[in-house]
Amino acid sequence: MSDDPVASLLSQIAAQDRAAFRDLYATTSAKLFGVLLRMLGDRGEAEDALQEVYTRVRLRAGRYDSVRARGMTWLIAISRNLAIDRLRARPDAGIGDEAVIDALPDLSSGIETRMIAAGEARRVADCFQTLEPDKAAAVQGAYLNGLSYADLAVRHNVPVNTMRTWLRRGLLKLKECLQS
Amino acid sequence: MTDDRALTLMEEADLLAAEFVMGTLPLAERAGAEARIKSEPAFAAMVTAWENHLSDLNDAYVDVPAPDVMPKVEARLFPQAARARANWLGWLSGALAAGVLAVAAMVFFAPAPTIDAPLIATLGAEGSPLAFEARYDGASLIVARVAGAAPDTNSVHELWIIAPEAAPISLGLLGDDPLSIPYPMPPAGWTLAVSLEPTGGSTTGAPTGPVLATGEVTDL
Repeated sequence: MSDDPVASLLSQIAAQDRAAFRDLYATTSAKLFGVLLRMLGDRGEAEDALQEVYTRVRLRAGRYDSVRARGMTWLIAISRNLAIDRLRARPDAGIGDEAVIDALPDLSSGIETRMIAAGEARRVADCFQTLEPDKAAAVQGAYLNGLSYADLAVRHNVPVNTMRTWLRRGLLKLKECLQS
Repeated sequence: MTDDRALTLMEEADLLAAEFVMGTLPLAERAGAEARIKSEPAFAAMVTAWENHLSDLNDAYVDVPAPDVMPKVEARLFPQAARARANWLGWLSGALAAGVLAVAAMVFFAPAPTIDAPLIATLGAEGSPLAFEARYDGASLIVARVAGAAPDTNSVHELWIIAPEAAPISLGLLGDDPLSIPYPMPPAGWTLAVSLEPTGGSTTGAPTGPVLATGEVTDL
């Protein structure tokens, strides 16, 4: 656990250490705010979500298990889940609002591909290489930006079910590679 | 494995876990997956495994300096302590500026927060604007609606407490004002839930309408 300062802070927070909670905020809030801002796309909403994330972190710290996940992975999972829940609950969710779609970064511009080329995300990146580039970009774009199957279908101009079948095959292939 | 043969139940569950983590599921299926995370440890483990698999992608999220929302978080989690600190700071600055008399007035007449007890659970549901907060002040459980609207005139929100593996027990009906119930501190892991019931509440002793919000009690 010594190589995971976030995990150490979480165990202190679980033991009611108020100073550790503030240290955690100081060291992790920029990353989590980056996650929320990218997914929600609105500063006010991201700020509100950030409050909710740290409230949940405090309430759930006792359930964090450093054997199962690194501290930062756990914090980002809480942040992403909250952002995705909020995105899916939006009244326009699934309709494929053109304005929303247009505002998203274009996946074909290869931002995610460049990220892999830069050597980040190496282990899973090697497995993404086994996928067709389109599929890899769609999985990564969905993960990073919080796109739904409906959003992706509009982007790729295919029916939602086709999109889903296509991505499920991609995930199966990814899993096969990760296990090998 | 990428052919079209039928998947085993395990494979199907694992794929759902992957889709949940990727985040692409529509609202209803996402809610179903969240329910399975809570009730099926094996499924929860699959979700954690996928969170770990895909965590390398997190490097692509760039840091953005965050506004300091900590005072708001702490005021929500620990209202008494937040207020005490504010008063102490007020005392200090007031004492320097205007003497103790003015300060005493500020300390004793400062408006108290509506509910002045530690938060032990937040109650909500997937895709619903309805939210409740449960607090415990050492003697009573205090539950208030903090977001969403009251039900229509023919129905009412009823509060339930559920011990692990036990049937729900009604704690009373929730209105616009916080509901305060003299109660021992509920142990962590117990569930609080709000259901929609006919005016007057459930007559069967068990929830009869849809469950609108749930939350697990956490030990603070």
